[in-house]
Amino acid sequence: MRRVAVIGVGVTKFGKHDRTSAELFAAAAADAITDAEIAPSAIQALYFGNVTGGETERQLHMGPLAATLLGLPTVPTTRFENACATSHVAFRHAVMEIASGVSDVVLVGGAERVLNVPTESATEFFAYCSDASLEQPAGLTFPGVFALIARAHMDKYGTTEEQMAHVAVKNHRHGVLNPKAQFQKEISLETVLKSAYVADPLKLFDCCPFTDGGAALVLASENVARRHRRPIWVLGSHAATDTMFVHEKRDLSRVTATERAAQGAYRQAGKAPTDVDVVELHDCFTIAEIVATEGLGFFEPGTGGLAAEKGWTSLGGKLPVNPSGGLKAKGHPIGATGAAQIAEIVTQLRGEADRRQVDGARTGLTHTLGGNAATVVVSLFGRD
Amino acid sequence: MTERVINLKSFFEEARAGRLTGIRCGCCGELAIPPKEFCAGCGQRDWQPVPLAGTGAIVSFTVIRVAPRGRGGEVPYAVAVVKLDEGVSLLGRLVDTPLDTLSSGLRVRFRPLQLGGETAAGFGPA
Repeated sequence: MRRVAVIGVGVTKFGKHDRTSAELFAAAAADAITDAEIAPSAIQALYFGNVTGGETERQLHMGPLAATLLGLPTVPTTRFENACATSHVAFRHAVMEIASGVSDVVLVGGAERVLNVPTESATEFFAYCSDASLEQPAGLTFPGVFALIARAHMDKYGTTEEQMAHVAVKNHRHGVLNPKAQFQKEISLETVLKSAYVADPLKLFDCCPFTDGGAALVLASENVARRHRRPIWVLGSHAATDTMFVHEKRDLSRVTATERAAQGAYRQAGKAPTDVDVVELHDCFTIAEIVATEGLGFFEPGTGGLAAEKGWTSLGGKLPVNPSGGLKAKGHPIGATGAAQIAEIVTQLRGEADRRQVDGARTGLTHTLGGNAATVVVSLFGRD
Repeated sequence: MTERVINLKSFFEEARAGRLTGIRCGCCGELAIPPKEFCAGCGQRDWQPVPLAGTGAIVSFTVIRVAPRGRGGEVPYAVAVVKLDEGVSLLGRLVDTPLDTLSSGLRVRFRPLQLGGETAAGFGPA
């Protein structure tokens, strides 16, 4: 298998947009191609992610549309949908297209637009990523899924609502340093703890927002990337699936797909959790960050809440997690999220993250989770 | 090898009549909520339907206060994962139980519900 590098990144501002998903992706992709310092015509394939376009924009077949708006109407495209892990799954497949020798330069990413519909509609469309036979009829929502996980974690380990609140406070503090973030405003522990319950024990400020945005990456084979001034190498990328049904999870306090995806990615990269300098992980809810920091091997099971409380995961802490502000503050356009996380890690490893730079970062990790913790992708990155 | 013994349609037809039905692997004894083709435990395709008593205990629960479109009139409502006494778990809506009395370990009993025109799994007091 050939080595693969990320040579270009592009991310739109996250927040509310009056542009369509395909427009948002095309704008991010043009930035990524410019950043890669290649001719647009060098792109040989587009791997594109979007989840709710059929519902929010009455728009499917968005791959060719995005390519058309980008000005590359003849590039072959594939559309991916794996709930919130969509563009990280697309990324892994793009890596494989280059690693296998099929293509030398591939554009990958995604976009989402949901702020053009009411919150209750967006909540409904996101719930389509849970099971339609048992879970949707019972009225389960995505905050509900993670509330079930949160209560199990609290029951088993004594994790507190205050520890979860520390994750929100930290990620908002990081978001202030990211000019692309949806929320660039600090919040207090009290603000989180006094916010209304959405799905007990998760409150409004435990939840990431609905977000419009796009993100894109240019990937290249080693022979192309070597001509580039700052390639960031893909050291490993592994996907794992777990049962779609919440009721079939053996232990609701764990996300076993995260554990398996991480083990696979570490093995591919020849790295261990202690080698990682900076992390972008899937904090769709505060409890999700706590459980992920455990499943990725950074902290012992049951101590992820303590790590947040002690500031170990803050910028300046022993392992900065979500310097971008994470899904919580940067925002979560679900089809774009995985690619945006990778863009942040690439920016960090290039040493170009400005006020949120993790000093001397050499190895970075991205983790994206989809749906009922049923899809997880973990990737590892390194610089020369 | 057997034909699939229970599909979603028949599972919910039985559930609507108050009969909760699981499937047990004739090879390794794994118990599951249908439908399944292969047993995730042993890889065999040898399911037999088994009646479930419908009684169990809450594993985890949440009170939903922001609902999807069309369900706003139902909030607040509780959803729980319930481990049935036979050992298999099922997710459902909790009914006829004051929200402030909910706790992990609370005993509940299955009951079929009609929610928004669909059959849903529900649990009420044991």
